[in-house]
Formats: sequence, structure tokens, C-alpha cells
Amino acid sequence: MVLVLAIGDLHIPHRAPDLPAKFKSMLVPGKIQHIICTGNLCIKEVHDYLKTVCPDLHITRGEYDEESRYPETKTLSIGQFKLGLCHGHQVIPWGDLDSLAMLQRQLDVDILVTGHTHQFTAYKHEGGVVINPGSATGAYSSITYDVNPSFVLMDIDGLRVVVYVYELIDGEVKVDKIDFKKTTAAAH
Amino acid sequence: MLKGKLKLPEKALKAIPDQIGSLLKGFDDDKEGEKEGPNPAFELGEELETFQPNGFGSDRENDIEIIADEELELKTRSKTDKEIGSTSVSKHVLKVDEKRSDLEYELSQTEINLEKLQRIASAGIPDGGSLRATAWKLLLGYLPASRDLWEKVLAENRLKYAELKEELLLSPSEFSRKKEETRGSGKNVDAHTAGPLRRHDVSTEDHPLSLGEASAWNRFFEYTEIAEQIDRDLQRTHPEMKFFSGESSLSKKNREAMRNILLLFAKLNPTTHYVQGMNEVLAPIYYVFSVDTDEQNAANAEADSFGCFVRLLSDSVDHFCQQLDNSSVGIHSTLSRLKEMLKVNDEELWQHLEFTSKVNPQFYAFRWITLLLTQEFEFNNVLRIWDSLLSNPFGVQDMLLRICCAMLLCAKGRLLSGDFAANLNLLQHYPEVSVEHLLQVARDLDSDTDPSSFCLSP
Repeated sequence: MVLVLAIGDLHIPHRAPDLPAKFKSMLVPGKIQHIICTGNLCIKEVHDYLKTVCPDLHITRGEYDEESRYPETKTLSIGQFKLGLCHGHQVIPWGDLDSLAMLQRQLDVDILVTGHTHQFTAYKHEGGVVINPGSATGAYSSITYDVNPSFVLMDIDGLRVVVYVYELIDGEVKVDKIDFKKTTAAAH
Repeated sequence: MLKGKLKLPEKALKAIPDQIGSLLKGFDDDKEGEKEGPNPAFELGEELETFQPNGFGSDRENDIEIIADEELELKTRSKTDKEIGSTSVSKHVLKVDEKRSDLEYELSQTEINLEKLQRIASAGIPDGGSLRATAWKLLLGYLPASRDLWEKVLAENRLKYAELKEELLLSPSEFSRKKEETRGSGKNVDAHTAGPLRRHDVSTEDHPLSLGEASAWNRFFEYTEIAEQIDRDLQRTHPEMKFFSGESSLSKKNREAMRNILLLFAKLNPTTHYVQGMNEVLAPIYYVFSVDTDEQNAANAEADSFGCFVRLLSDSVDHFCQQLDNSSVGIHSTLSRLKEMLKVNDEELWQHLEFTSKVNPQFYAFRWITLLLTQEFEFNNVLRIWDSLLSNPFGVQDMLLRICCAMLLCAKGRLLSGDFAANLNLLQHYPEVSVEHLLQVARDLDSDTDPSSFCLSP
């Protein structure tokens, strides 16, 4: 039972001052084993805050990140799953499923996590899953102003992933759950 | 037969030197408690005439003869042996064999006489076989006295343990997975369709970051700190024994079993939770049950250890609770009782410790009492001492205090000549002593039964 937090596009301090209070109260240290962050934090203080929530932090570079040494893409193995991480501004058209699927095949992962669009999405595509955790602060994006703060928590348990989506809609935290089982035949 | 009974004491007294004669008083008392005794006693009387304290040769013949007799007689024979206190190795080996057959006989009865078992066990249980494991289970009340019920009781308890584990020790994701599996897998339809994944609203149900009281996830995370503490302590349990420490799959399995037991105990006892040291109390129990040569028992050592651990700790759990420290059942009151017992038995030593060198029992006896002496002696000696602790008819705590007092008395010489630092050092690293001698001193102590003296102590 491994809890992985997927979060990103906070744009602190440029487009948002901080995480919503309700999110902050839920993200207590000690519960989460890994954090994968799509990027655009943008400053070091946010990096430090995320480190206090969980010391195992993986970040890829977003176009507004002030830390230039984050990698463009990252892959890691958690349990039976291979996860891929990329900010997403490099994949054109932004948010296009087929292009993201190309990236997923390129990185050879089961679950690809990207951001940049500031919209939560979760697609199943040819045995792999593409997840966009959205923006955790609800910061405006190049595409739209109307953004609900959201992030994703994945519970990886053997061959099964339960994805919990946390969204802040009208001041209330709504939690959705998605089940995904890795079919052993789909192992690349 | 009656003739024999009367004859023995005189004959024995004649043959045996005076200083040991007092021990025979004990022998007489024991004899009264025996089911039978007269006939063999009569035979023994004659043989004892030729016995001299140094005459090992003649005794050996006695031993061989007696072993050929009925097992019943062996009980009286072995008692006499112990009183004489011989030191020959062969004698010792034969004594162990006698104890073993005593015990085996008693344990093979359909209706076990617990008092008799207590008496035999207090003299020490030999290693090997399932003797110690079975004896401890009986003494702690885990197994009933009538043999016919054993299978049923064991199966019941082991099943209960498995159920408890499933209820309390599963992580929430494993738990929900099992629930879904039983509900049937209608969700497999999603497996082959591409496109956006279906979402199910669980805002009102449980989720990992839930902070609600009723949330299974929240409760699970509350115990991670305790679980970490347990893991740390288990790493440090008996580092010199391969059974507990190291990276072998055996020691890992043992540590995991002990972790389950301790975590379950912590969850079932929210007032005391887990306190550092409980792992040390569990270790001898789990060890003894695991090395049981009976395969069924050894495989279920975890479940049985849990049952016996709970029973053993129910006696002394108040010592672990900080809020009860100063109450009448807390650790301070027990320490006062220890001081009183020492005062009653050896005022000089008490005076020296209490006033001259000001060594408060809190500094050394705290660990002795809460951990039931597991840290003061070598592991094998701990097992021997626990034989006596568990088989005391007045309870574990009574014998525990007696042994603590005996430990002080046995080190009297060095304590009287030491100051605060030396004494404290000595008592915190208790020197090696003969365990049998220590237990004998403990048995002979005057117990402090006068309640008023306790109240008046400063």
C-alpha cells in the first residue's frame, strides 16, 4: 500500500499566494510515501514545503520554474507500476491525448503524469493511463481562467491502483475515486 | 505402608548432617501433599542410611534402581535429591531426566492437577520437547486443566487471533480490496475500453487523507507512530540471538510475528498502547512456543504467544501506565513493597541501601519489575526464572518481588561495602549468580504480610 501524491502547477507566488487552506490541512506529513510533481511550483519555498510533507520528492521542470536544474522528464518504479512524469508544455498540442500517448510509449511507462493544462483529466489509453492532476492552487492557465484547485493521490497496491481525485469546488473538497488494474498482458 | 512413612524421617535425620536437616522440614510438608508416598519412602529410608554427602558412588546405584520403578516414586525420589543438593554432573543429568519424566507424567494425565504442576515447574522445567511450552500455557491459564478440551480451546483461540488480525491489522487498501473481491468484479468492464476513466464520488466515504474520526484511513495512520516504535524496539531485542536479530528470513519472520502481536495489543489497549519493554516480555514467551517440537504448536506460536502475553501482562499492565504511577497499583507502590520486604528480611542491608548509600529502588528495580527480570540475566536463566515466576501459587508479582529481594540479599556483601555509585552500578548490571541458589533464597524469604507496616513506611 503505497500512497503517491501527484500535484503541480501551483504557480506560487506569481499567480497564487498559497495552497487552499482545506488542502493544506489534509496534506499532513507521515501519510504519503512519494510525491511526484509536474512542475511550475515556482519557487524554492514551495519545494521545501513539499519536502516536509514527504521527503521523497520528484519534480520535472515547468516553463516558469525558477530552479533550472529539474529534469524535463522523469521515470520511476513504484511497486509493480512504472510512472512517468513530465510537465507537458513540451508536448504539442497541449493536452492532446495522442501526443501524450506517444510520450508514454517513448518513456515506456504504465502511468504518465503531466500537467500544464490546469485541468484534471484521467484517460485510459492502450493499456496505459494518462493523468493530469490539474493545478493545486487553482492558478489561471494560458488556456482558461476558470480553474478548480485539484490534486491526485494514488494508492498503489500490487497490480491495482486506486486514484483519489481531490477537487475544491465552491469551497468544498470533493473526492472522487478511480480504479485501475494493470493487466499483466500489457507489460511492455 | 504407614510404617514406612513414620520411619523415614528418623532414618533420614540420622544419616544426614544437621545443616541440611532443616531442609527436610520442607520435605515433610511436600510429602503430605503427595498422592502416594509411603511405600517408596520406606525403601528410600533404607538407602539413605548409607548415603554420605560425599558418597556419590552409593547414590548412583540408588538412581539406577529407582528409575526402574514406577514413575510415581520418582516424584519423591527427585525431591530428596534436590534437598541434599549434590553437585555431581551425572547426578545432575539424571535429575533432569527425572524432572522430565515427572513432568511428562503429569502432563499426560487427562485431568491435570495444577497445584502439582506448579510444584514441579517451580523446580525448573528441562529444555527440549514441548514440556516448557505446554507447562507455561497451563500455568498461565491459556490451556484448561482437562486434556480433552485442549484441542477445542486451542482451535478457538487461534481462530479468534486470526480474526482479530484481519479486523485490526489490515491496511485500509487491502481491506477495501478484499471487500471488492467478495462483492464480485463488475468493474472489469473498464479493462478494455480506452478513453476517459469513470469517476466515483467518494467525498462522503473514506479516502486516504480523511481527517474524520470514523475514517479507517485516519485510524490506520494514528498507529504508524506506534508501529515504528515497535519496529525499532524489535530490532534491538536480543541482538545476540539469531532467533531474533539479523537479516535471515527466520529472524525476519519472528520479528514480523512479534510485531503483529504487539501492534494488536496496542490497538486493543488504548489506555496503555505499547510501551517500550513489552517486546522484552514477549520475547521469552514467543521463543519457547516457537521451539516447541510439536509442529502444530510451533506453527501457531504467534497466536498462542498473543494469548499468553495478554494473560501475563494483565497482571502487571498497571506498571506500564504512567498515570497510575503513584496510585496503589502503580509501580511506586510495588517498589515500596519491595523496600518493605527487604526491611523485614534484612534490616541491615535495608538500612544501608535506604539511608547510607541512598540507592532508591526506583533506579534499579524499575526495570527488574516491569520487564519481569528479562534484562538482568542470560536468556536461558531467564527461562528458568520464569518457570518459578509462572508456577508460584500466589501469583507472578509475589514471586517477582521475592526474587528481587533475593537478588539484593545475594549481593549483600558487595552492597554493604559500596557507596551510591558502586551500588547503583552493581545493581544495574547485576552480576552472575547461581540461579538455583537465588531461587532458593527467594523461596525462603519471609513475605511481608503485615499491611500496617506498609502504611507506616516513610
